[in-house]
Amino acid sequence: MPEGIVQPMPAEAQARLLAPRTDEVRLLACSGILGYGFTEAAFRRALDMGMHAIGCDGGSMDPGPFYLGEGIPFVSRKAMKRDLALMLDGAISKQVPLLIGSAGGGGGTPHLAYTRAVLEEIAAERGYRFKLALIESELSKDYLKAKVRAGAVSPLGPIAEMTEQTVEDSHRVVAMMGVEPFQQALRQGAQVVLAGRASDAAIYAALPTMQGYDPGLAWHLGKIIECAGAVVRPKIGQDCVIGRLRADHFLIEPGHPDKSCEKIRIAAHTLYENPSPYELVEPAGTLDTRACSYEQVDARTTMVAGSRMRHAARYTVKLEGVRKLGFRSMFMAGIRDPGLIGQIDEFTAGVRAKVAEETAAMGIAERDYRLVFRTYGRDAVMGTLEPERGELPHEIGLMVECLARDEEQSRAVLAKARYCCLHNDFPGRLCISGNLAFPFSPSDISVGSAYAFSVWHVMELDDPLEPFPITMIDVGG
Amino acid sequence: MAKLKDLARVIRSKNAGALLVTLDVMFADEATYRRVRDSGAINAADIARRYGLSHNQVSVIPYDVAQAIKITIPRAHPSGDPLDSDVYGAQQHAPLLTIEVP
Repeated sequence: MPEGIVQPMPAEAQARLLAPRTDEVRLLACSGILGYGFTEAAFRRALDMGMHAIGCDGGSMDPGPFYLGEGIPFVSRKAMKRDLALMLDGAISKQVPLLIGSAGGGGGTPHLAYTRAVLEEIAAERGYRFKLALIESELSKDYLKAKVRAGAVSPLGPIAEMTEQTVEDSHRVVAMMGVEPFQQALRQGAQVVLAGRASDAAIYAALPTMQGYDPGLAWHLGKIIECAGAVVRPKIGQDCVIGRLRADHFLIEPGHPDKSCEKIRIAAHTLYENPSPYELVEPAGTLDTRACSYEQVDARTTMVAGSRMRHAARYTVKLEGVRKLGFRSMFMAGIRDPGLIGQIDEFTAGVRAKVAEETAAMGIAERDYRLVFRTYGRDAVMGTLEPERGELPHEIGLMVECLARDEEQSRAVLAKARYCCLHNDFPGRLCISGNLAFPFSPSDISVGSAYAFSVWHVMELDDPLEPFPITMIDVGG
Repeated sequence: MAKLKDLARVIRSKNAGALLVTLDVMFADEATYRRVRDSGAINAADIARRYGLSHNQVSVIPYDVAQAIKITIPRAHPSGDPLDSDVYGAQQHAPLLTIEVP
């Protein structure tokens, strides 16, 4: 054995952890997103209390379709490594499991590989040895088409039915796992689990539902702590939250000694990003919070009881997927001329027509690109729903973007649009040398590949493990 | 009459998935919450008018334990779609600020 190698978690300790229990299981949620950070003071205090597992959610679809499509995280590598290193130190030193869900943000195959590389770099630097489970969640087109043919896929909200063509046109599709793949990984002896796209709450519900705790309480606890610092006051950045689950209730408290988890914030958390605070749909059923009670047990701790899990007739997982649209480029410039601001819609319509004429001369048809004008300062956020749209501002930030097949076409159309915006005439024009104030040079920016959500569905499964293959790896071995 | 923005502690919006936006109106004290809840000032028909929807597309749920009223509506475009203007759905609350509460 080389010197400095840290021994893996013994098999007996792992078996003891998974055995049924009824006293109290303590779970640590480090941060709302892996890479959003947490304080060392909170983390160390939590570890000293004796955690049974350390967890962190790595993902979200909130940053939009690009990150899933492109296969990259929306946090920096440095931030991910900082958080992951502390968590791994904690898991190894206390000999407890570390569970990461939605690795790399989107949870696709490249996201998982990215996160694994960061983890293995940390392990190599420190000489750690442990069993790692990688759980994939990206679906192949053939697999998904077969599910579509079997009638196992249905829309989740206002989106079209999935067809085999939807699958064919997609760029990347992931399925959101429940607790079962995490549990299988732990049974196989994993000390660190890096999971693809996963229900946020499943990261924390996985261990206690194996140990025999009430699934309603376990899932509700998971749902509250998965956003970590979101339920902590004062809310200064992200920070650790501790969930203590007992037979008939659970307790939520902050990791940090000077912070608190107030009853009303805990109760309010089921409002966050959910259509209803009373019902949260998870793979095996619906968490019902109607009968919940919330009680402030001390200045920093809230007790919750009464959460119920209503089991569904069919096990379902959510699907998230994107299709590639092409390439986006953009520029943004200021308009200060009141005469132009007063007729901005007529002006941009004129630019659009002129650009079509100019690009046709270069062999690019209008149907091959999409030109979008956004008038910041007037209605760029709310569009025609803007209540104050009629009141003219003294300044507008005009953003012009072009979505086209590839970078060359996108930039070619945008350059024409820039020229037309800068120099096109309009009635009563005084500013005849130029209509735009560019803040810097170059003006035109290549944004990158553009994607759109094309899959937002649910898929029925007979076997909760089926689309989530697990690979066991001996890190440092 | 008072404007909702002068009565609420929080008026926020956020995606509830890529296809819906959910708006939470939260109050600092129970009396104000009950006043707004019981006034019926936040109702599906009015929200629909403010967001250019039909009233059956709007869900309004009072949530007593958090002194909050939740409103959920469909997004005009999915998050990050070419014509979307608010990827996180975090700035769609302005039409609620001026709701008049008796």
